[in-house]
Amino acid sequence: MAEQELVEIEIDGKKLQVKPGSMIIEAADDADIKIPRFCYHKKLSIAANCRMCLVDVEKANKPLPACATPIMPGMVVRTQSKEALVAQRAVMEFLLINHPLDCPICDQGGECELQDVAMGYGKSVSRYTEGKRSVKDKDIGSLVATDMTRCILCTRCVRFGQEVIGLPELGATGRGEHTEIGTYIEKSLTSEMSGNIIDLCPVGALTSKPFRFKARAWELEQGTSVAPHDCVGSNIYVHRHRDKVMRVVPKDDESINECWISDRDRFSYEGLYHEDRLTQPMIKKEGAWQVVDWQEALTFAVDGLKKVIDDNTAAQLAAVASPNSTVEEHYLLQKLVRGLGSHNIDHRLRQTDFSDQLATPVSAGLPISIEAIETQEQILLIGSDVQREQPIVGHRIRRAYLRGTNVCVINPMDYHFNFDVKEKIIVSPSTMLQELAAVTKAVLDQTQNTRHGKVADLLKQVTVSDSHQRMAKQLLGAGDKVVLLGAHGLNHLHSSQIKLLANTLSQAISGQCGYLTEGANATGASLAGAIPHRCAANLGVAKSGLDAKQIWQSQLKAFILLNLEPEYDCADPQMALASLQQANFVVSLSPYMTSTMKDYANVILPVCPFAETSGTFVNIENKWQSFAAAAAPQGEARPGWKVLRVLGNLFEQEGFDYTVSTEVRDELKVAVDGMTMTQTNQDHIPSTLNFSANVDLERIAYPPIYRTDNLVRRGESLQRSGIAEAAAVHLSANTATQMNLADCEQVTVKQNGQHVNLPLHVDGRVPDNCVYIPSGFAETAMLGVTSPAALTLERS
Amino acid sequence: MPQIRNYTLNFGPQHPAAHGVLRLVLEMDGEIIRRADPHIGLLHRATEKLVESKPYNQSIGYMDRLDYVSMMCNEHAYVMAIEKLLGVQAPIRAQYIRVMFDEITRILNHLLWLGAHGLDIGAMTIFLYCFREREDLLDCYEAVSGARMHATYYRPGGVYRDLPDRMPQYKPSQWHGEKDTQKANERREGSLLDFIDDFTQRFPGLVDEYETLLTENRIWKQRTVDIGIVSAERALQLGFTGPMLRGSGVEWDLRKKQTYEVYDKMDFDIPVGVNGDCYDRYLVRVEEMRQSNRIIKQCVAWLRENPGPVMLDDHKITMPKREEMKGDMESLIHHFKLYTEGYCLPRGEVYSAVEHPKGEFGIYLVSDGANKPYRVKVRASGFPHLAALDEMSRGHMLADVVAILSSQDIVFGEVDR
Amino acid sequence: MNRIKHWVKSFTLWELLLGLKLTGRYLFKRKITIQFPEEKTPVSNRFRGLHALRRYANGEERCIACKLCEAVCPALAITIDAEPRDDGSRRTTRYEIDLFKCIYCGFCEESCPVDSIVETDIMHYHFENRGENIMSKPMLLAIGDKYEDDIAKAREQDAPYR
Repeated sequence: MAEQELVEIEIDGKKLQVKPGSMIIEAADDADIKIPRFCYHKKLSIAANCRMCLVDVEKANKPLPACATPIMPGMVVRTQSKEALVAQRAVMEFLLINHPLDCPICDQGGECELQDVAMGYGKSVSRYTEGKRSVKDKDIGSLVATDMTRCILCTRCVRFGQEVIGLPELGATGRGEHTEIGTYIEKSLTSEMSGNIIDLCPVGALTSKPFRFKARAWELEQGTSVAPHDCVGSNIYVHRHRDKVMRVVPKDDESINECWISDRDRFSYEGLYHEDRLTQPMIKKEGAWQVVDWQEALTFAVDGLKKVIDDNTAAQLAAVASPNSTVEEHYLLQKLVRGLGSHNIDHRLRQTDFSDQLATPVSAGLPISIEAIETQEQILLIGSDVQREQPIVGHRIRRAYLRGTNVCVINPMDYHFNFDVKEKIIVSPSTMLQELAAVTKAVLDQTQNTRHGKVADLLKQVTVSDSHQRMAKQLLGAGDKVVLLGAHGLNHLHSSQIKLLANTLSQAISGQCGYLTEGANATGASLAGAIPHRCAANLGVAKSGLDAKQIWQSQLKAFILLNLEPEYDCADPQMALASLQQANFVVSLSPYMTSTMKDYANVILPVCPFAETSGTFVNIENKWQSFAAAAAPQGEARPGWKVLRVLGNLFEQEGFDYTVSTEVRDELKVAVDGMTMTQTNQDHIPSTLNFSANVDLERIAYPPIYRTDNLVRRGESLQRSGIAEAAAVHLSANTATQMNLADCEQVTVKQNGQHVNLPLHVDGRVPDNCVYIPSGFAETAMLGVTSPAALTLERS
Repeated sequence: MPQIRNYTLNFGPQHPAAHGVLRLVLEMDGEIIRRADPHIGLLHRATEKLVESKPYNQSIGYMDRLDYVSMMCNEHAYVMAIEKLLGVQAPIRAQYIRVMFDEITRILNHLLWLGAHGLDIGAMTIFLYCFREREDLLDCYEAVSGARMHATYYRPGGVYRDLPDRMPQYKPSQWHGEKDTQKANERREGSLLDFIDDFTQRFPGLVDEYETLLTENRIWKQRTVDIGIVSAERALQLGFTGPMLRGSGVEWDLRKKQTYEVYDKMDFDIPVGVNGDCYDRYLVRVEEMRQSNRIIKQCVAWLRENPGPVMLDDHKITMPKREEMKGDMESLIHHFKLYTEGYCLPRGEVYSAVEHPKGEFGIYLVSDGANKPYRVKVRASGFPHLAALDEMSRGHMLADVVAILSSQDIVFGEVDR
Repeated sequence: MNRIKHWVKSFTLWELLLGLKLTGRYLFKRKITIQFPEEKTPVSNRFRGLHALRRYANGEERCIACKLCEAVCPALAITIDAEPRDDGSRRTTRYEIDLFKCIYCGFCEESCPVDSIVETDIMHYHFENRGENIMSKPMLLAIGDKYEDDIAKAREQDAPYR
């Protein structure tokens, strides 16, 4: 904005240059002049219903609300004049009339805006002696506790629902003193960002249920960290009390998560204190598990691995890491395994098609910044339930949509989004490729683009229908464009072909193509070298090791697992478990011990999960975010990087003499900064595209939002929340009728000789001839996730 | 020829005459002191740093523990510093109560000093008499604050509670029957003010008794006259304050020279010495007790006549009444916030000093606008006095060191902080 | 004349005799000594001694785990853990006072919005074993139960002043 467009106003005697049309309160906030407020929030629309921000404006005959009074040139505002103070005091008195005397039992006490403003601007003794109003509490789910009597009707939560998450679940009913905030019909909130209303609520009406009564704000020590569940890397504060994580709240970062975080990031900390937590190293000797000290456990692990390597070859060793581990852990793990002579390491657990791995760039993420998603004009989502997978990206897309962006989707399920979709194609996973091919062809046709000859050749057989033409036309509209590939695209049976088409398409519409990768640190893991075909920082290897799929297929003799629960985290848990069980020696570095793990592992080394370890996550925009441990490790658990460091020492390998995790990071960072981008961006063109599904009933499998990793799976409040899914069989109404099955029936799912009983839900989101059975559950763990093996359903 | 060498003697830190944990390293030429080197810090508790880490009110209790024989005077300097920076003044009744208790504290301090000084020099009896009177004054402390020593009674904006209308009483026992008990309770029939009033009636006579035992006593005089002489000029140069300075003949008393609270309304005199020796300091302190008694009398008379609030009614700083706190929202919020977060002081610095029984006791406080001080410095009155010990005792005998040290009225809670 | 008087007084140990007369007089005065364990000096109703947690008349504990006492305690002597009780109310699961840390300033009692934590007039107590200095919630409640009448009376007497 040019200088001359600013107008001069005066607030409290301070001359300010401000944008015309902005509100007094914005100008005051920028100038660090404090005006009390309850209903105003910089990210929400202006309601001006609390009246707390009344200020004295010269030439106005009464005090005006600073949040709703636009700046006029030459305006003179006084926030501390007698008139303003009297008005503020009077408003405060009214607000407190109906407020219950709850401070001592209210969780907000000590961090309550009402208390602060009452201290700063209110009277010190009440004149009101009559009875107070009381409002019945609402039950809005397992995450947010309500005490609606405390509500001062600022409507921040209502506006948040309407504007930010697009789910008007909370609203105000009644008038005057009888106004109440609530869900119109009692129900749980179904947003993946609902926890933010806890932060928004200026009083104690909406508080965190898992945190209820646990600690006071002033007792909490604050550590900064990065959310460990999705590739966005939301900035968070971890609040601890006596070295125990008590809660997680957002840390403002305008370029990533603004002031919001998803419920998954906010409440998953409960998993840290799950009964499965392993706090001492354990080894299996002669079939019996025993607790040992670190020295013994590490020696046992090293001896066991050495024996396997000596008896066989180093190639019989494989390491599998969760994409939620830190860069340091990934780096040290690959350094260890490669030092031992094996390249068998991977973190791409749910991916099944690795044929293009040498062609894909090493840090495939988002080519634009997360912030820039908002400024795109056309967005195409391929195989993505973005709102559930990366809630913050979903929120950015909603913001873009509110600005007028067109969103198109090609999805295997008709996911509900909080933005309207302009064009959508909902087809079975296998048909997705075909549909994408048709859209790509339509685009190439419409643009007469000849640069993609090879791809165009592959698309010759594809028939283009109207819907493809419409979508292509839409995508060719003006402005910045981005194609976003979600989990269903990246983990597709033929993901290399999906990626090829998505890249071609994005180039043809002169847009960008972004991958919404799984886990918190997939980009970091690739850069750190936790991939079989490249060493750290993109250094090539003579001969690629085994990828995640081959590792499980190859009947290897020894495994190192990092932060992993293969029965939930892998594309084909059945095969993974079988592979582990036949192995001679399995070392599992895991924060949790499960009965399955006891079955296959020989050593379990307790490593620290999120918040107890320092480390670095690299998010999709390739931003390196390091964090320190926010709480002390539990029991004997130790940060993964330290355990790997000592393992390196015990194997007498060079270069494992780190004292702090930042040394590990810096070593890698230097290499990454100097890395050459060879071998990347070459198109990997297959000879043909695999369009046909070879089964009658295709399974759509993906872990629901609260089943994605070992930490969140143990977040008990999240599991009980409104959007937590249970293990079930979802069918479209048509398919169910065809199969003669009815809603809510128990059905038996059979695949590969395994069979499980699950309830059936008729689900409008599922396309015909598909069955959606979420993975990440104990019940469904024995079914192949993306395995094309035939799957049958029958009434049980 | 044998080498003559000064003998180095360790005095303390566990010596009964060391007044706490003072370690004196004495260089002796025979029995003559050539150099006295006080080693301090054995009772260092980092009070200043503790205060800097807590909301203002929470540190009042730590002030009691500085000079632990003049508790309320320490509190007074601290709350006065806060009030000065806040720009508020305690209600007049609170000011009278503070003055009264400051003077009670002065008597308490001087009585302890007199008893201990007597013990150090070899007069046993006086100690028992002094402690007998201290008992009554400690009862006043207890009646008003609930603690016999560490009162935590003064608050920024007044004092915590008004003076009670009744005193606790003795109960009959197998040793003392109804009649005895009734007699013992005679002074306790009325209010605290009656009890104090009764004390002020008796006290001048009791001071006479102390003087009978000591003032003319030849042993006492031999041990104190011309011992540890400090000239007026030298006393000023050494930074002496209080009875140490007045004993040297300088008429300096903050209660008159930089008057605070209601001292300007009080009628009292400043006693001064002539020679600046231990004996003069003794006389000054004894006379100060009589003057304090006068002030207490005036306060009692005023307090009887003038009921009123003892705490400011500004609940942005002072706690709301309990009854209000339980009944209305504003008071509850203020109660909650004041007890957890406290109040914030405006940015700035302040020095406030009171005429402490031992001299000038000051609190230098820097606020950065937060709810706890950015920096606190305690000006301990005893510190400069102890620093002069070397000069005062040089050339005297070993036994005189004890007399000099005890005439300085050193308390290590304050010196070491 | 004065010199003669001085000489006579000095020679006759006059001032020492005066002192002896004073002390001699006290020999025959009523003794102010009390027989301690059986007899006690009077204790003010404001006295700040050993802590107690009180209950309501219906037996419900008063403490609501607001943690004001923990926050205001200058010596950090109070440790509280809280969580929702089965009936959903806010209660402590742990309430401990370390008597070695406590400075008996009385702020905990002042801050308590429900008159739960109080400092009683009990001052004669001792510890025999390591760790006994930490008063747990059941101990504090037991003291409160035992001396509730005295505690309530003292609070009532002092109520107008607070």
